[in-house]
Amino acid sequence: MEAIQKEHDKVWNSCKQSKTTRHVDDIIVALQKARDAIAEDPTSRQVTLAKLQNPVKTMFDGIFSGLRDTHGLHNKYTRALDKVFKDKVPSNEIDTLSSHPTLINRAIYLHLLREGLFDVASTFHSEAVEKQQSQQETATNLDLDVPMEHPLGLDKSSEANMQEQFSNMYHILSELKDNHNLQPAIDWARKNAAALEARGSNLEFELCRLHFVSLFLDRRDEDQSDFDAPMRALQYAQSEFQSFRGRYLVEIQQLMGAIPFSSNLSESPYNTRFNHSTAWEEVASSFIREFCSLLELSADSPLYVAATAGAIALPTLLKLQTIQKQKRTEWTSQNELPVETPLPPSYRFHSIFVCPVSKEQTTDQNPPMMLPCCHVIAQESLQRLSKGAKFKCPYCPIESHPREAKRVFI
Amino acid sequence: MAADLTSIKLNPDSHVLLDQPLLRLPHELVKRNFRNTQRYVERERDQILPSLKDTANAALSSSQTPEETLASLDAMIQRMQTFKRKIDKLHAEEETLHEHSAKRIRHLQELYEIPSLADVKYDDWARTRLDRLMVDYLLRSGYSKTASSLAETKQISHLIDLDTFVTCHRIASSLNRGETKDALAWIAENKNSLKKLITAPYKCTNLEFELRLQQYIELVRAGTIPKKLEARMYAQQHLTPHASSRPDAIMQAAGLLAQEPNTEAEPYRGLFAPSRWRHLSNLFIETHHTLLSLPVQPLLHAALSAGLSALKTPACHSAYNPASSSTPGHARIATNTSLCPICSMELNDLARNVPYAHHTTSFVESDPVVLPNGRIYGRERLEELQRKLAMSGLGGGEGGIHDLQIGKEGEVRDPTTGESFTWEQVKKVYIM
Repeated sequence: MEAIQKEHDKVWNSCKQSKTTRHVDDIIVALQKARDAIAEDPTSRQVTLAKLQNPVKTMFDGIFSGLRDTHGLHNKYTRALDKVFKDKVPSNEIDTLSSHPTLINRAIYLHLLREGLFDVASTFHSEAVEKQQSQQETATNLDLDVPMEHPLGLDKSSEANMQEQFSNMYHILSELKDNHNLQPAIDWARKNAAALEARGSNLEFELCRLHFVSLFLDRRDEDQSDFDAPMRALQYAQSEFQSFRGRYLVEIQQLMGAIPFSSNLSESPYNTRFNHSTAWEEVASSFIREFCSLLELSADSPLYVAATAGAIALPTLLKLQTIQKQKRTEWTSQNELPVETPLPPSYRFHSIFVCPVSKEQTTDQNPPMMLPCCHVIAQESLQRLSKGAKFKCPYCPIESHPREAKRVFI
Repeated sequence: MAADLTSIKLNPDSHVLLDQPLLRLPHELVKRNFRNTQRYVERERDQILPSLKDTANAALSSSQTPEETLASLDAMIQRMQTFKRKIDKLHAEEETLHEHSAKRIRHLQELYEIPSLADVKYDDWARTRLDRLMVDYLLRSGYSKTASSLAETKQISHLIDLDTFVTCHRIASSLNRGETKDALAWIAENKNSLKKLITAPYKCTNLEFELRLQQYIELVRAGTIPKKLEARMYAQQHLTPHASSRPDAIMQAAGLLAQEPNTEAEPYRGLFAPSRWRHLSNLFIETHHTLLSLPVQPLLHAALSAGLSALKTPACHSAYNPASSSTPGHARIATNTSLCPICSMELNDLARNVPYAHHTTSFVESDPVVLPNGRIYGRERLEELQRKLAMSGLGGGEGGIHDLQIGKEGEVRDPTTGESFTWEQVKKVYIM
């Protein structure tokens, strides 16, 4: 990239100092001067014009030599680009998505909603509908078929619902993050308490606890004594923590225990509970996660995760493509990539089971089977090893019948 | 772990693969600008120098009055001033392009300063890249309003090429409507560079020939005798010069004269077909993108199809994975971990036909155990779920979590199916 930067600087500089305009000006001035001279003294015109020939030609030559230099710099810059961008962006060979514009549009639309870009999303929506209409018109004129499905692949109800849900989410989030107002989030958590509990989520308590902490720390100007803020927190706890008493007793005890220490909290053992600079961020992200889960959506935008994973995996896949082209081989398995595409650990969402015998990943058709000795191999390997009769586990001395193997889910 | 270190290593040189149009396009535009400048200068020189000479000669031989000499000098000055305006405009354009390039180089440079894929800065950079990819996709699909509004909101206008795509899309849709004027004007503008494209190694179909052929077809389609005569004239002027490169097409074109537009005979039916316009429109886009070193497919396609595959596992479309949105009536209990993007409803259908990632080693949570229903989890995850459920008053006694020995007593909840078991039923399993 530095080489590119350097070459580009040169090109840009030469553009800034370009003499082309100056030469053109010179020519105009020369012509003008000659004209003025001739207008003043028509008899001198032969001499003046004869004298004009060479300078004008030289000036044009000057322009051309400047252009030649620029051209050389352009070529150098092109070479610098070629050096970094050795490979072309892979084209249609890896592209299986062109036939699904609607699905991509939908993914983008949902991504926009998810990012809170409601204006952009609604522009997209109206533009897509508009475009489809005009396409349909042209198509009827030309007598062609066009798909009649919704251009963003949404049905009416889910479309309105998604938009509403996400704008609700952003309202709650902006209250939470910008105004440190937890009430909308707490209301939401109460409304969905049953679903959240089934997930084993502590969101509601986390929110209420943060509210307690923020009341506790919130010193106001009109306060008479240092204890007013902890007392407000205590009042809040008395009214709101009743329902949590059974489950979060220890946590609540800790919060209460901090009240006597309010004057020197930072030296007390309760400090960690209260002095938590990232608490708001954490609560916000746990809110997003729970909110999306209840909508059956992943917490981070799938489009973002997939595009980023793609950028990471692409160089490997491109290399593969080049090799396949050179060797003229094709990968026989349609279902699986032929090379490993390592991704950072945060991009792992499922457990992976590779059969230790066949080195194949298990699928619904070839599921993992657990032998009585608790070793797991793929079904096909099991069949191949046992041939229907009793056989020894490949990893320990225990023998078993294939009947005894149990389908497991990893 | 060594494996983790390599998997988060960021190799910027290969990572910018998707970003090359960012620098290539402005450079192509600079080169085009340069060629135009060169052409103008040549044209002016070839005009001014001879006419200057003629004027001088005429003055010498006194075949011109002084007034005439002045007039011709005035004409030359006039000409040079128009020329200067053109050059100034091109120069200003060039400056803007260089400024864009400089900003883009700086943007790419930022990537080179990010130490690893796990860095927060990489996250920001990758989000901007996604915005760029989306804008690229939207522009290519003709959603220019959405694209510019997205670019504006995200303040990435210096990283996108709105005008180029808008022009391209305008011409392409004019072809879709059955109009050739804009496309032919574009061809005239880029005549020289197009010539290079048609010859090897690019092997681009000759867009101009195809367009001329279409105009000829339209004349024949009109069907009247004068129109057909006009068609013949037109063919002589525009098609026969290509006789050496496209002999078959020209023969077919000649045969077309004898056919009715509603003919069933191939290849004439195909030539008369309205879908030919759509083909021309696509051909134009292809030619346009090749000319400007732009990939023909949207960059988002390249990124997504690679990403979908890299992320996809056999579990993502498995009938036994309740988290996958392809499983009918999928449970929302799912897991207490984050949902997989491929299982998520946004991408699930899209990923259905891509291959899944290749793995050579198993990757399971540590200390795996199997529940009586055959589901395997890491012990820690089950314990954590039990702890949380106990905290919220489920799955443990009213006494809260203290009298309960997590991982030994009480009930184990399956995070996927929601079934409950006792810890005695949980067995250790060995994954090699």
